[in-house]
Amino acid sequence: MSAPLTRLARKSLLNRGVSVGLTVLSVALSVMLFLGVEKIRTGARDGFHATISGTDLVVGARGGAVNLLLYSVFHLGDPTANIGWDSYERVATAPGVAWTVPVSLGDSHRGYRVVGTTPAYFDRYRYGRRQALRFADGRGFDGIYQAVIGAETARRLGYGLGDEITLSHGIGEVSFAEHTGHPFQITGILAATGTPVDRSVLVSLESLEAIHAGWDSGVARSGAQAATGGSGLQPDSVTAILVGTDSPIRVLSLQRQINTYRGEALSAVMPGVALSQLWRVIGAGETALRAISVLIVFVGLSGILTALSAGLNERRREMAVLRAIGARPQEIFALMTLEAAAIAFAGALAGILAVNLAFLAVSARVMRRYGLDLGQAGPGLTDLGVLAAVTLAAAVLGSWPAWRAQRNALADGLSIRL
Amino acid sequence: MMPGRPAHPAAIDIGALRHAWPGEADILRIDRFHVAAGERVFLAGPSGSGKSTLLGLIAGITPCQQGRVAILGDPVGGMSPARRDAHRAAHIGVIFQLFNLVPYLSALENTLLPLRFSPQRAERVRRTGQTPVTEARRLLDVLGLDETTLGKPATALSIGQQQRVAAARALIGHPGLIIADEPTSALDRESRDGFIDLLNSECARTGAALLFVSHDTALAAGFDRHVDLRDINRMAIAA
Ligand SMILES: Nc1ncnc2c1ncn2[C@@H]1O[C@H](COP(=O)(O)OP(=O)(O)OP(=O)(O)O)[C@@H](O)[C@H]1O
Ligand SMILES: [Mg+2]
Repeated sequence: MSAPLTRLARKSLLNRGVSVGLTVLSVALSVMLFLGVEKIRTGARDGFHATISGTDLVVGARGGAVNLLLYSVFHLGDPTANIGWDSYERVATAPGVAWTVPVSLGDSHRGYRVVGTTPAYFDRYRYGRRQALRFADGRGFDGIYQAVIGAETARRLGYGLGDEITLSHGIGEVSFAEHTGHPFQITGILAATGTPVDRSVLVSLESLEAIHAGWDSGVARSGAQAATGGSGLQPDSVTAILVGTDSPIRVLSLQRQINTYRGEALSAVMPGVALSQLWRVIGAGETALRAISVLIVFVGLSGILTALSAGLNERRREMAVLRAIGARPQEIFALMTLEAAAIAFAGALAGILAVNLAFLAVSARVMRRYGLDLGQAGPGLTDLGVLAAVTLAAAVLGSWPAWRAQRNALADGLSIRL
Repeated sequence: MMPGRPAHPAAIDIGALRHAWPGEADILRIDRFHVAAGERVFLAGPSGSGKSTLLGLIAGITPCQQGRVAILGDPVGGMSPARRDAHRAAHIGVIFQLFNLVPYLSALENTLLPLRFSPQRAERVRRTGQTPVTEARRLLDVLGLDETTLGKPATALSIGQQQRVAAARALIGHPGLIIADEPTSALDRESRDGFIDLLNSECARTGAALLFVSHDTALAAGFDRHVDLRDINRMAIAA
């Protein structure tokens, strides 16, 4: 019973090649858009959640968790206050603490944030699935007036190893106060990570101290002089501390300990928790994006409805002939819904293939340039789900013209009016 | 065959039939209309008198509202819609006035179509020792369609060719009854006469009954019997 129908549906669709082809194309384009948005969306979300990993606590001055995360990890906005160096030492030596990396923010270079830290940063900062930072070129800093730059900083500003840059006080793109007396030499360029590290300039805490010492006194000390006096360059405060513990079970008690530390008002947050909180804020846009792309798929599908409904009258004879040969009204209905589903299936399949090919073509480049992991190339479960959902939705939509065709066929009897 | 059923039940046996289209007065009131097995009947009647309506009832496309409609011994009038459709697929060949063919199928595929909708008809072809395709080719050849037209899409055929493909499609698989609703009205005189001769001789050869509708009584010559709808339909008399 259904064998003649699938055959009829196929021949009928092939016969209307151009118009059916255009409908298939519109479904394909809408599915491409949907899957493209979906893949970028999940890539962005996963990338966001993977901004920092392997760090158990981020410690800063007393304040909200999201705010602390924003300035310490995303380099957005300003810290409410700094942490005294003695507090840093207390945290670093607290029982259960395996390692600490201090982070000092406040300077910039042509709009890119300068991060003062220790060489341990390059070993301890992890992102994604606990991936370590990697040098695309050069090595870390081991003295003052040396800088390591992130992948995007290097690419956008066109810097290479050995180039000299000057830092400016404050974080504006156009700074009014330049530390012009102390050029920094670039010793290393990091590989892309898809995290804010890509947009930063990393220098040692001592280097920051050195330029600020010169700044404070109002007299620029010479680089050689500052370098030799290393012991005098200990900072008296930092912006935040990345903390790793001996064992995950110590994290909560350590967090409580830091939060209740009497010497200074501190906040310790677990990055994973704060990231989730932050994503809930950003996620609203994500939901809107998704809703729009779903709507676009429906626009694509409604093209099927239009195509089938438009052909309904000219196919009235054909349906009457099929009825005369012995086709049941349900078979007329099935033929029409089958055609709708077949158009949607072909369109969705084409869209899925195109998106996957496109991602295959660009994902390596996106990974290299932006560090954004677009997920596995090649059709996945989402693609199968979309294929099934689109086909089913088209069959449901197609049941409207199908029902009309069936009703016509029943009403016409043997005497079809032309 | 069912026990107690006559060897050759009437092709059409109608009694006390009444039919009205929704919202309209009765168009048909037929006390008795009978076509014997293998009989070829010419049915005439003016336009709008209900000829097509009667054919729809006989084919089982239009549900029977009141009365008895038995086709080849089967009480089509009382069947469920699904069984009526299956009965039509297996036992009745239909030829329309125009546009008989499924436009996106070739002449050959159109001819084969009834075999795909009725296993019974396909089985009857197989019992003659033919394959569906050879049988379709044979019929198309008998009806005067040459080899080159068989693969052409239906829309590429002339009207005369289309009608002959429709006749081949109605005849394939040996249905017991062929109903033709003014199949020659769009043909010129020569092809019209040829068409009627071929249809008659093929029905005679296979033993199928033929109910041929036309308002052109000049065509009635080759048929066993000539019936005017006005003579059997009491509504027409009243009108
Ligand atoms: N499917 C239908 N639905 C509603 N009314 C119908 C239908 N088919 C026919 N009628 C009506 O029934 C009446 C008879 O029509 P029918 O087609 O049976 O006449 P006919 O004898 O075949 O005429 P013609 O020679 O012009 O083909 C007409 O008034 C027509 O409007
Ligand atoms: Mg008619």
